[in-house]
Amino acid sequence: MSLLSPIFSLLAQTGRTDGGFWFPESASTVAPDVDFAFDFITWISIFFFVLIVGVMLWFMFKYRRRGHVPSMESPTHNTPLEITWTAIPMILVVLIFYIGLKGYVNITTPPENAYEIEAVGQQWFWSFNYPNGATDINILHVPVGRPVKINLRANDVIHSLWIPAFRVKMDAVPGRRTELWFEATREGEFALYCAEYCGTQHSQMVGKVIVYNQFEFEAKIDELANWLDKVPDENLHRAGVILYNRCTSCHTVDGSPLIGPSFQETHKLFKSGGTRKLADGSAVTVNEDYLRNSIRKPSDQIAANAQGAAYPSSMTPNIADQLGTRGVEAMIQMIMRLDELVDDDGKLIEVKMADIVVEAEEPQ
Amino acid sequence: MTTTASTTHDHPDFLAHHWDTPKQQFEAGKLGMWLFLATEVLLFGGLFVGYAVWRGNHPELFKFGSQYLDTTMGAINTVVLILSSLTMAWAVTCAQRGNRKGLIIGLLLTLAGAGGFLGIKYVEYSHKFNEGWFPGAYFYDKPSDRSRTWDDNLPVPGAGQLVVPVPDTEARSIEELGLPADILVEISTVVPPGQGPSGLEELALTDTVHTDDHAEHEMHALQREDRPANAHMFFNIYFMMTGLHGLHVLGGVGVMIWLLIGAVKGRFNEKYFTPVDLGGLYWHIVDLIWIFLFPLFYLI
Amino acid sequence: MTTIDTTKPTPGAETPPVDNYLTHSSGIMSWLGTLDHKRIGVMYLVSILTAFFLGGMFAMLVRLELMFPGEQILSQDQYNMAFTLHGVIMVFLVIIPSVPASLGNFVLPIMLGAKDVAFPRLNLFSYYLWVTGAVLAVSTVFFGGVDTGWTLYVPYSTTGTEMNGILLLTFAVFVLGFSSIFTGINFIVTIHRLRPPGMTWFRMPLFLWAIYATGILQVMATPVIGITVALLAVERLFGIGIFDPALGGDPVLFQHFFWFYSHPAVYIMILPGMGIISELISVHSHKHIFGYKFIAFSSVAIAIFSFIVWGHHMFLSGQSPLMNVVFSAITFSVAIPSAVKVFNWLATLYKGSISFNTPMLYALSFLVLFTISGLTGLHLGTLATDIHLHDTYFVVAHFHYTMMGGALIAMIGGIHHWWPKITGRMYSEFLGRTACGLIFVGFNLTFFTQFMLGSKGMPRRYHDYDGPNWTPEATELFGTYHFWSSIGSFVMAAGFFLIAFYLLHSLFRGKKAPANPWGGRSLEWQCASPPPHDNFSEPPHVGDPYDFTVLEWDEQEQGYHWRHDLKHEPGEA
Repeated sequence: MSLLSPIFSLLAQTGRTDGGFWFPESASTVAPDVDFAFDFITWISIFFFVLIVGVMLWFMFKYRRRGHVPSMESPTHNTPLEITWTAIPMILVVLIFYIGLKGYVNITTPPENAYEIEAVGQQWFWSFNYPNGATDINILHVPVGRPVKINLRANDVIHSLWIPAFRVKMDAVPGRRTELWFEATREGEFALYCAEYCGTQHSQMVGKVIVYNQFEFEAKIDELANWLDKVPDENLHRAGVILYNRCTSCHTVDGSPLIGPSFQETHKLFKSGGTRKLADGSAVTVNEDYLRNSIRKPSDQIAANAQGAAYPSSMTPNIADQLGTRGVEAMIQMIMRLDELVDDDGKLIEVKMADIVVEAEEPQ
Repeated sequence: MTTTASTTHDHPDFLAHHWDTPKQQFEAGKLGMWLFLATEVLLFGGLFVGYAVWRGNHPELFKFGSQYLDTTMGAINTVVLILSSLTMAWAVTCAQRGNRKGLIIGLLLTLAGAGGFLGIKYVEYSHKFNEGWFPGAYFYDKPSDRSRTWDDNLPVPGAGQLVVPVPDTEARSIEELGLPADILVEISTVVPPGQGPSGLEELALTDTVHTDDHAEHEMHALQREDRPANAHMFFNIYFMMTGLHGLHVLGGVGVMIWLLIGAVKGRFNEKYFTPVDLGGLYWHIVDLIWIFLFPLFYLI
Repeated sequence: MTTIDTTKPTPGAETPPVDNYLTHSSGIMSWLGTLDHKRIGVMYLVSILTAFFLGGMFAMLVRLELMFPGEQILSQDQYNMAFTLHGVIMVFLVIIPSVPASLGNFVLPIMLGAKDVAFPRLNLFSYYLWVTGAVLAVSTVFFGGVDTGWTLYVPYSTTGTEMNGILLLTFAVFVLGFSSIFTGINFIVTIHRLRPPGMTWFRMPLFLWAIYATGILQVMATPVIGITVALLAVERLFGIGIFDPALGGDPVLFQHFFWFYSHPAVYIMILPGMGIISELISVHSHKHIFGYKFIAFSSVAIAIFSFIVWGHHMFLSGQSPLMNVVFSAITFSVAIPSAVKVFNWLATLYKGSISFNTPMLYALSFLVLFTISGLTGLHLGTLATDIHLHDTYFVVAHFHYTMMGGALIAMIGGIHHWWPKITGRMYSEFLGRTACGLIFVGFNLTFFTQFMLGSKGMPRRYHDYDGPNWTPEATELFGTYHFWSSIGSFVMAAGFFLIAFYLLHSLFRGKKAPANPWGGRSLEWQCASPPPHDNFSEPPHVGDPYDFTVLEWDEQEQGYHWRHDLKHEPGEA
């Protein structure tokens, strides 16, 4: 019976945009269509389920065995009946198909004036690229009330971009271009997921959509496009902390190795002027050049892990392009000056863009 | 039917206990074989679909690639296979008539046909390998965009050796890959340096050792300006389909040898010839598949 | 007539030592090298149940990991390997061969009135192919494991790091495919060529129709998965590039190939289950099946339709929208024959005399669970809603309702139905019904919650629902469902252990089973329990397999036999 308590609590929340019993909250123009189609099918299903199980239970009770008596005489076939219960479901599924088709045409036909954003899936994060050159990781910034078309690409394996609140999802397939579109109906933050299994960290390939009004949106992508240029050199290591979110799935700052070596270990080697063992058996001095080379050509010098085996060289080869020249420098600075960026517990300090950006008018 | 079934006590040796009559057993065997042949057709069907998809998407690859198949060889092979089908049919007829000598001769001729086919195929394949048309990633020296690299553990290639580049795996030596250490194969040239699938950079033929003019002539084809991107795909499909077919011919050779042993031992007679009949059916389907493969690759 | 007299155990009096297939010969080699379809069926049954136990253990690991947010017992990679192996074992080793290879092997020739399947050697060979495939598939654990999911999608499967595991697994699937093909060929030929006099097509029990339709699917669809995994292995080994976009190939082509087999495979799994249900419902209601021809032909219709709907697994794969529309439309057509079956089963209950024996409880559970699975299939076949539900727990719940609530529940019902025939022993009805109840409740608790989990926004194949990028609200919401789902799985596991307990107990301590404990009319109930080595020493005589009016209960024998007031024994009817 305890199963029912979450169900009741969910029923109590039923409202217009919070999704009710079955759905997450809704925030796009197509969501009501999808919800309607779903509800329509669900009610048909409930009707047939109650009918079938009800009849079954009734027969089970009425015709239960009483002693070893044979069953009553009754016909073994009835063609008109068979035709009836073939025809009725047939009509219903045609109706359901039609409703699904109508919604589908809507969901897959982006309006011509849609604002275009490129989404690139890679193990294990999304990067979103805007027409003005802005880029962000795992966070999709979109305006409210304006159709947005997402052009999907995948760099390594198949991913799938899913925004439950918008009821849209599409695979990102290597070697193919796919797209999805939506129009957000209200401001707020909504979850986004990778829905196609893509490997080890699939369950952390999760992000959010932030819906802004048009002004805030313009300001946001403007800031994203230009902020690195406005960060003075002495603040560059702190900019690295902001960029670090695209590294988290493979590199920690607390010394524990994931897919790649921890930044803390690299930082210590840098400070002590130590050397790093590579998978091919050689060693390399950890200095600025080594760091730069490792970001620009990830498969060039593959580090050895504690057991002496190679870390998988699966770091996206074009990570340097994504970061940009200044972004690469910011990451190098961050690793070199990591000790200034962690608090007493070894956690990264929080860095806000506004704190490190210096507007051009002000003298540096 | 009922009476014959229950009174058949003269069960011949070849008749398994759960059959009533030899006819029933024979018909069941035949139905089973036809079903098996249906699965064979479907097995190749997957590849034919792959062929159709690729041909539909990239007709230029097939136009380009098929120039480099030897139509004469293919035609000879087609004739050889059709003749071997004929001799097989003859062998089956002999078996049905209880003509043991004819059966043995028919099987021997069919075996010769199969051997001839495989021999010609071997010549064709080694030509392709000589000229650097390898299946898959080995078509290119360095498929650079997959960061596949030459394996440092392999010896430096010289004339007369084939070096198999190792694809992008964790395995860093031949042993780890599970390949035999004596992977070096005696052929007349090394892998030609080619170009990655995405880039059409100029070829450098510096390391290549040419041993005969024919190879040289075709080598230049690799450099041709009009070579379409992904030309390797034609050869992938060619090697996959003819390779799988070749394996089936090889399987046919096994069946034929088994039948031959049975025939020499006198296991077959006019009452019991099911294995010969079924072997014949298998051989015809192998033949039939080739009749599709030949025009698809060599002619059109 | 004489046949029946000699094989029927003498009622009441001490049973004389009657030769049956279990006592016909002894020694381990007499089993391992047997050509007797009954022994092969039993070996399949034992092996498949072992694989089921193993697959179930992986499922429990998965459920334990997901019970609470955060990492519980498995790391991300371990989790990915666990759900992959759960899928591979359950799909390729358990559900695809389950009913045809085990119960089908045992029952089919007897039901048909034949002495054996058409090709006994091929039958044994396909068993050993299964064993080889099973060993290869499970041994991937020792070679780095496989973490691709049972769907083996490229390019993840061709570029991932688990080289040896993938190669082993593709080889295993290839070998298992041939095992399945040979079983299918064997059954089709048996049904075509070994029907004894009097056994016309429309006198075949519906189980045989279902196995026949399944055989067609096995023969026609399985070669395609064979060539697909062969291509995958060659791609992996040599990088031929057919599926690899980096070499000019197309990953979506792999999905087409894969689902061209794997969708019909869904019906390879469920059709034999439907066949069992037709038998169980009719026998345990002691009433003639309703709409025999409609049920028979709906099996064939499902088999045919299932070949042209594979694209509905790929609505979001980037294939053209037009194809999606066509595939969606055809998908709905499969719903019709399935619905027809359900209605006919219901009509069979009407005016019946329904005994709630354990097998019948499973059949009734099947009706409920299969109805849910079919109806939720509508949500997934509909284009607009599938976009939201694709690759979520909604799909997971749907196919578990089909595969487990359908195919597996039917198989367990079938095992209980034919257990007296196979072993010659009865099991405890009380424990049987209890276990069925536990499984029914546990199953619904486990998987119904997953419908909501999916539509609420939880993607499938997630190791965790907590982490730096997750919002606390999502973690809390999904956590509630996952917790109850895991609780349900424990209840279900308890049910399965109970079954294992009382079935093993019955082997040694169970009451001796009569020839016909349930009142079945198909031919297997005419021979003794367990059946003699040759099934029938003379071709049996065949009547309507669902005409139960000719049977009556014998208190002394605790089973049914031919009515005394009827002049003829069944052989002469």
